[in-house]
Amino acid sequence: MAIISINNLVKNYDGEGLEVQALRGVDLTVERGEFTAIAGPSGSGKTTLLNLIGGLDQPTAGNLTVAGKELNNMSARELSDMRLHNIGFIFQAYNLIPVLTALENVEYILLLQGVDKAERRRRSTEILKEVGLAKEINRRPKELSGGQQQRVAVARAIVSEPELVLADEPTANLDQKTGSGLLDLMHDLNHRKNITFLFSTHDRMVMDYAERLIRLTDGSIISDERKKSSRESGERKKSGSRKSKK
Amino acid sequence: MKLMKKHSIEAMLAWRNVWKNKRRTILTLLTIMVGCAMIIFFRATQDGSYEKMIDDSIAANTSHIQIHEKGFQENMSIDYAFAPDEYPSIISFLQKSPAVLATSKRIHAGGLISHGNNTFVVLIQAVDPVQEQKISNLHTTVQPGGRYLTPDDRKKIIMGATLAKNLNVTTGDTVSMISQGFDGSFAAANVEIAGIFRTRNPRYDQAMVLMPIAQAIETFTMGDYVSSIAVSLKHTSDMETVRDQLRGLPESKGLEIMGWDELIPELIQAIVMDKLFGYIFYFILILITAFGVLNTIQMSVFERTRELGIMMSIGTKPSQIVIMVMMESVYISLLGVLLGILIGSGISYYFFLHPFDFSEYQKEMEVFAQVTTVFPAKLTLNNVSVTAFFTFLAGVLFSIAPARRAAKLNPLKAIRQL
Repeated sequence: MAIISINNLVKNYDGEGLEVQALRGVDLTVERGEFTAIAGPSGSGKTTLLNLIGGLDQPTAGNLTVAGKELNNMSARELSDMRLHNIGFIFQAYNLIPVLTALENVEYILLLQGVDKAERRRRSTEILKEVGLAKEINRRPKELSGGQQQRVAVARAIVSEPELVLADEPTANLDQKTGSGLLDLMHDLNHRKNITFLFSTHDRMVMDYAERLIRLTDGSIISDERKKSSRESGERKKSGSRKSKK
Repeated sequence: MKLMKKHSIEAMLAWRNVWKNKRRTILTLLTIMVGCAMIIFFRATQDGSYEKMIDDSIAANTSHIQIHEKGFQENMSIDYAFAPDEYPSIISFLQKSPAVLATSKRIHAGGLISHGNNTFVVLIQAVDPVQEQKISNLHTTVQPGGRYLTPDDRKKIIMGATLAKNLNVTTGDTVSMISQGFDGSFAAANVEIAGIFRTRNPRYDQAMVLMPIAQAIETFTMGDYVSSIAVSLKHTSDMETVRDQLRGLPESKGLEIMGWDELIPELIQAIVMDKLFGYIFYFILILITAFGVLNTIQMSVFERTRELGIMMSIGTKPSQIVIMVMMESVYISLLGVLLGILIGSGISYYFFLHPFDFSEYQKEMEVFAQVTTVFPAKLTLNNVSVTAFFTFLAGVLFSIAPARRAAKLNPLKAIRQL
């Protein structure tokens, strides 16, 4: 069943009098539980595509359905609600609210969703344990390393068990070892919780991890490759990177 | 409580954001504190000074309430007099009212006073020497070598120091007084100076003569008539109530019953003007503190553009952003105001105990008809609450603009900022 369905999506930007075509009629379907990477060079339109899927931007033309909801006609408030309840976000860096601890950052989403305190605390603590930050729950972002911060961001993105997690170049500011650990974690969560992950990246390592690799150039999809043995490959890489984490 | 619970996350985030940049927050707090404390202190000084000036004026001669025949205050003539016996309900009220401390009958007349070749226009005020001492403190200003009037005094007067100096007379000298009697007859008498007073009020010291009322009844052929009844109250604050009660009596129709605020309009006018300038000054101070808050909140929002963008991206609603940012200004303004109240009240209390004393410059101040030379600060609940409220309100109101701007951020553009 498709979680993302895109038909002839166009996005144009006005750039100093010149209209820039960021997306030129993209058609794409992403099934639930996929671990997909959108790859391409800078300016290829991958972040634009991710932003449109996340309801952070409005398309110029085309249809966009996410988690059964057609985004084109949704108000800002409805889009905000959809982001809160259906989508988890992971950004490149400086992702977290600096005045909140790791636990509070994760709890924040549940709090916005109106989950009661005891339940919030239980789920947030549990998810932080899952991402390997049991000892860091009371630390603020500045007291965490870049990799740990991204793990908190992952925990925050999945704590409410959204149907879809959008990750915009999540490993861009991490070294290879830390980035690999983070991908292991997300891949594991993808498998265990059947959460759909959609990355934008130009990182070779992310492309290797992805079960499906969509290449975008100049706002158009030029290839869409599904790797048959990707899950096995992911498992293999996961065990390898866990060793190297230490 | 429900509302607080609902917005607990915004409140918590706001509190932590406030302390994220401690130095800036402390500087803003200091700005609000200083502004609020200055306003409280200046207002306390004003309130204390006004009260002291009014009290001094009341105590010198004005009294809290005066009762005259209608038209007296405008004409200040001996022709406007009334017989107290014809107003039994008013006299009875004055005797029975628990708010009334004392009353004193007075006769006022204009006249000329001469000694040798010197002649001056004077205001003659005839008083009951015993009752008058309960009303006015003028008897305390009689200079050494002289004395105040007694009920048995006849053909005796006391006069202001400046007048005595101008006439070139001293205690024990005899002067001639010429005036008009109540019946239109010529009134004249040679009187002895029993004492010379110095009230520091130039109007009194230059032109006022006091004589016993028994003598004045004779000299001015007053019969049972008096120019006024001066009323002293136990508490100045009771004036309006007592005045209204007196005005409510049917017998008051032919009389003018005036409170101190109507008897010393020039002082009240000066106070009103001073208050007006004070309000302008306070308004500017409040604006400065509010701009301090605005700057802090604006900077704080600007610095957190990316953070706010991420918060909005993950589902924080614009209204929650507005509440969070405004809560920051609520915390800063509240803390600043509380500190301001503490400091302002502390300083005001110190100057209540140790008033500003300009006695050294008494002579210079007399030139400007300034009788009061000691100015205590007076802290009132109205001063503290109104100052605190407006300082707080201005701080919060000035944060609406940055809060709205934060809520209107485009999450996509915001998260691109570093």
